[in-house]
Amino acid sequence: MSKVTYTDLEFIEGLKQSDDVVLRALYKKYYNLVLKYVVNNSGDNQAAADVYQDTIIVLYETVQKPHFQLNCQLQTFIYSVAKRLWLKQLRNKGQLTRLNSEEEDEVVDVSEELTEHLQKEADIKKMNDSLENLGEPCSTLLKDFYVHKLSMEEISEKFGYTNADNAKTQKYKCLQRLKRYFFESN
Amino acid sequence: MNRIKERDMRNAELFDKYLFGELSVEQKIEFETQLKNDISFADAYQKHIKLIQTIHAHEQRSDLKKILSKIHRQEFANETKIIPLKEETFIKKHGRTFAVAASVAVVAVIGTIMVLSAGGYLLKQQSNAITDLKRDVTGLKYSQDAIIEGLKVAARKPHKNYAPANIEGTGFALNNKGYFITSYHMVKNADSVFVTNNTIGRSVAKLVTSNPSLDIAIYKIEDNSALKDLLFPFSFKDNTSDIGDKVFTLGYPRRDIVYGEGALSSSTGFNNDTTMYQISIPVNPGNSGGPLMDEHGNIIGVIRGKQTSAEATGFAIKSNFIKQTIDSLKDETIKDELTLSSKKSKLKGLKRSEQIKKIQPFVFNVMVYKK
Repeated sequence: MSKVTYTDLEFIEGLKQSDDVVLRALYKKYYNLVLKYVVNNSGDNQAAADVYQDTIIVLYETVQKPHFQLNCQLQTFIYSVAKRLWLKQLRNKGQLTRLNSEEEDEVVDVSEELTEHLQKEADIKKMNDSLENLGEPCSTLLKDFYVHKLSMEEISEKFGYTNADNAKTQKYKCLQRLKRYFFESN
Repeated sequence: MNRIKERDMRNAELFDKYLFGELSVEQKIEFETQLKNDISFADAYQKHIKLIQTIHAHEQRSDLKKILSKIHRQEFANETKIIPLKEETFIKKHGRTFAVAASVAVVAVIGTIMVLSAGGYLLKQQSNAITDLKRDVTGLKYSQDAIIEGLKVAARKPHKNYAPANIEGTGFALNNKGYFITSYHMVKNADSVFVTNNTIGRSVAKLVTSNPSLDIAIYKIEDNSALKDLLFPFSFKDNTSDIGDKVFTLGYPRRDIVYGEGALSSSTGFNNDTTMYQISIPVNPGNSGGPLMDEHGNIIGVIRGKQTSAEATGFAIKSNFIKQTIDSLKDETIKDELTLSSKKSKLKGLKRSEQIKKIQPFVFNVMVYKK
């Protein structure tokens, strides 16, 4: 049976390994913490779930860094990131008026992680738009080659090109277009 | 104009080869020298890397988001339902690449001069990270809908150089002409389907027919040469089996075939569904689409799923619905080719291990790729 509790270190190790059991256990453990905060500060369950998932993404990507070290309790980290993300949302909506949570909440400085996250978020958004612009079969073809590591032969078979050389030319054309969309958009 | 295009295309190919570690030592040195000396070349390379990194990041992010929403749905929406036993791969595609990517991006912002001085080192690190990943694409299995506590789905390496599939499960032959059956829920919205096992190697398969309401899909293997001369071991049972009968299954919850046995525990399935049996075999993600056999090796069903709230409770679609699905085919030629054998089992009286030896070539690991 799975373990019922994990230490912070075990959670982090599990996240590093992308262990789905650990990810699930972590997700279950801290959801209520974030839910409570968001709901107490003019959010609903859906908003809480969104903020919480973004928080887990920040954590997940932070621990993948080669020299990552946690300098506070995991709970504090999660709380701090969630809080910052939620406040940012409120601010963007112009709803940031009054907070119910006390200011002396234990919060660590997560600015660096958040800045990085938001930068990456912007890149991913740009890529998403670019891939959408690019359409099919190009976007699947590029992912098959660069992410799923299919060979040119497999791609040629899958997409019905007459031979691998032909597929290669198509891949190149797709890549050029993607490059244009990605680097020329704002 | 054309010559510039040709050069750009050659360069893009070169970048990929460098990133995938496909250049010879001499070519690599030449490449790195050009990076140091040719500003526009280095600039094009930076852009190339940035683009590919972001494609990766995009894919990884969307995978992660899907998994988190799934966990949320499952853990915080209290409902019992059947979990289809397919596996969905969450591929840890990038690992440490990102941190390096960040530094590469920073370098790109600071300017080309930095790239040229510090670039050699950074670029080298970069290429190593990517090469490692290519050789060692750890397929971490995320069970699609399985809320199975304690089911640690282990990381595993894909066969040879096959791309890890989005979903994997099991299928078994209906005859030795290449036709096989699997679960519809696995192949739904599939872009392509491949089957592998030790006998056939790997072959692409084409959809013949499907019946979503019964969760059945029938496919045909393109390269059937390895099977056509083997004795086809299965016979298909028309009538319903009895509660308490010993049953067993073979499947691919892992890359290797796994045997499971138990008993037929009810003649109806989840919510009294009469198209299914309930079985007491501990089935795992990846077992979906596998054969359910009685003691004599007759096919009595197709493994379908398990109940979220109960351990070791599986469900299988009764074998007479396979026949029904075939009978509903319009194409008479295929229908003829698909006549199921209901003759006496060729496995009767054999020891279980002997039965399995004869069955194994006809049970496949089904790999489903989605768009």
